[in-house]
Amino acid sequence: MKRILAVAANTYRETVRERVLYNLVLFAVLMTVSGLLMKQLSIRQDERIIKDIGLAAMELFGTLIAVFMGVGLVSKEIERRSLYPLLAKPLGRSEFILGKFAGLGFTLLVNVAVMTAGLYLTLAATHAAFDPNLLKAVYALFLALLLVVALALLFSALSSSLLAAVGTVILVVAGHFSDIIRNMRQVAPGTPDWLAHALYYAVPNFRSFDLKSRVVHFDPVAFSDLGWITLYAAAYVGVVLGLALTVFRSRDLL
Amino acid sequence: MSTPAAGPALETSGLSKSYPTGALHRGRRPALEELTLTVSRGEVFGYLGPNGAGKTTTLKLLLGLLRADRGSARVLGVPHTERAWRHRTGYLPENPYLYDYLTPQEYLDYAGRLFGMPAAERRERSRQMLERVGLAESARVPMRRFSKGMLQRAGLAQALLNDPELVFLDEPMSGLDPIGRHMVKEVILGLRSRGRTVFFSTHILSDAESLCDRVALLRDGRLVTVGRLDEILRIDVSHLELLASGVDAGVLDRLPGLKARRALGERWSLEVEEKSLGPVVTAIQQTGGRVLSVQPVRESLEDYFVRQMGAKAAPRPGETA
Repeated sequence: MKRILAVAANTYRETVRERVLYNLVLFAVLMTVSGLLMKQLSIRQDERIIKDIGLAAMELFGTLIAVFMGVGLVSKEIERRSLYPLLAKPLGRSEFILGKFAGLGFTLLVNVAVMTAGLYLTLAATHAAFDPNLLKAVYALFLALLLVVALALLFSALSSSLLAAVGTVILVVAGHFSDIIRNMRQVAPGTPDWLAHALYYAVPNFRSFDLKSRVVHFDPVAFSDLGWITLYAAAYVGVVLGLALTVFRSRDLL
Repeated sequence: MSTPAAGPALETSGLSKSYPTGALHRGRRPALEELTLTVSRGEVFGYLGPNGAGKTTTLKLLLGLLRADRGSARVLGVPHTERAWRHRTGYLPENPYLYDYLTPQEYLDYAGRLFGMPAAERRERSRQMLERVGLAESARVPMRRFSKGMLQRAGLAQALLNDPELVFLDEPMSGLDPIGRHMVKEVILGLRSRGRTVFFSTHILSDAESLCDRVALLRDGRLVTVGRLDEILRIDVSHLELLASGVDAGVLDRLPGLKARRALGERWSLEVEEKSLGPVVTAIQQTGGRVLSVQPVRESLEDYFVRQMGAKAAPRPGETA
């Protein structure tokens, strides 16, 4: 466990030193501008729009960090050979993968937490009431980001950074359109049922994590809904990380 | 798991590795074939060979970065596939990349955490190692500002952090200036004086000659020879180098046992077989010449290396010679 934490701490330090968290500055600018512009609208309207913009920005920045830092987590270490002296020490390959996942996960947690605080501050500045539902949407968004990190890590353990980025982006985009995959027969009539079903269940269902519209439109989000998506995320991340560990353990590091 | 204290530091038996070739990976190119080798505790062992001979492949197999096709190895008495020995070894890769966003102090702290060292021990060992490799004053400078030689020093510091019983060094002199090379030699000799084992690959034969108790020579993935330097090299005088003046070129044509000659202005440098020294000296003096000096020449490791590498490649198993 100590070795996993050591790798995680170093991964977090790398993201900080590589100025990944600078995206928070962009987010702050975006929130300030939104707050100033929305003052001209009615109270409920400006609250909705600020929430919408805030959550969308959190999703966009978070996904970009998860994909583009995630795909380099293993492949970049192999390409630069920085991994060799680490694995020559008493560090298992599984510990390395789990440490990398935890490290980038923590970076995203910090990122999302700071952005959430910024979003609440902007809402407070427009005299909106505190909305705890917003936290539920942020929680779901964070789970989705962990899923993206796991996918990026799997591709990173399999191939080069470039191929890993392509594979991860395809899966993330497909995951946002999983309903289309389920109804594939309407678009491509020749598609066998089993294939449509298999693809639907294999591709991560990112739509389930998207609570933006419900929160923005003041629809309540039940805790049971959060429970289900937590279970789904845990199962999916578990399977994907398991695959990443299996692939990486048997890989020759040339 | 108990680990025997005695026995060899390293032993391999029939260790073999091939790499896939072609777009579809249908072919295999052998990189290491049937490597059987024993390194005793406390010795400095030089692993020599030209580029592509299989030196780095061997190190990667031992360290678990690659999987062997066949064969086995034991490190400090433990099967190399287990992790139990990794607390007791150190490794410096060739041209190490050590996270340029970290300072050497931070990197050593990270390495120490992987060994499970407590914080106080990490601080103390890091300080000692940075001092030992001459990086104490750059301890807090990000490594992205380091030269190649400084990176090599930082790499050496992390390889020695846990006071290893066995150290694997892949081209440790690479990229170092003369002072850096001297420092590495001192480190290696210091390890030997404390009974540690050093297994290092190198292209710099003079370093191997001055440091190693034994060497192994690898060519095309196969072990050519292994042994003590005085066993491998021709200890006998291979020929004599004779410096003479006032000798006519026509006389040289008639000298017995003359292997080679080179004009040095008015003088001649002559390579003569040892048994022909008497007749050659007599002939030179009888024709009015003078013998200025006679120097016995022994084979160096470089001579041996060139002789072995220049020889026709031995047939692979299954091939006819």
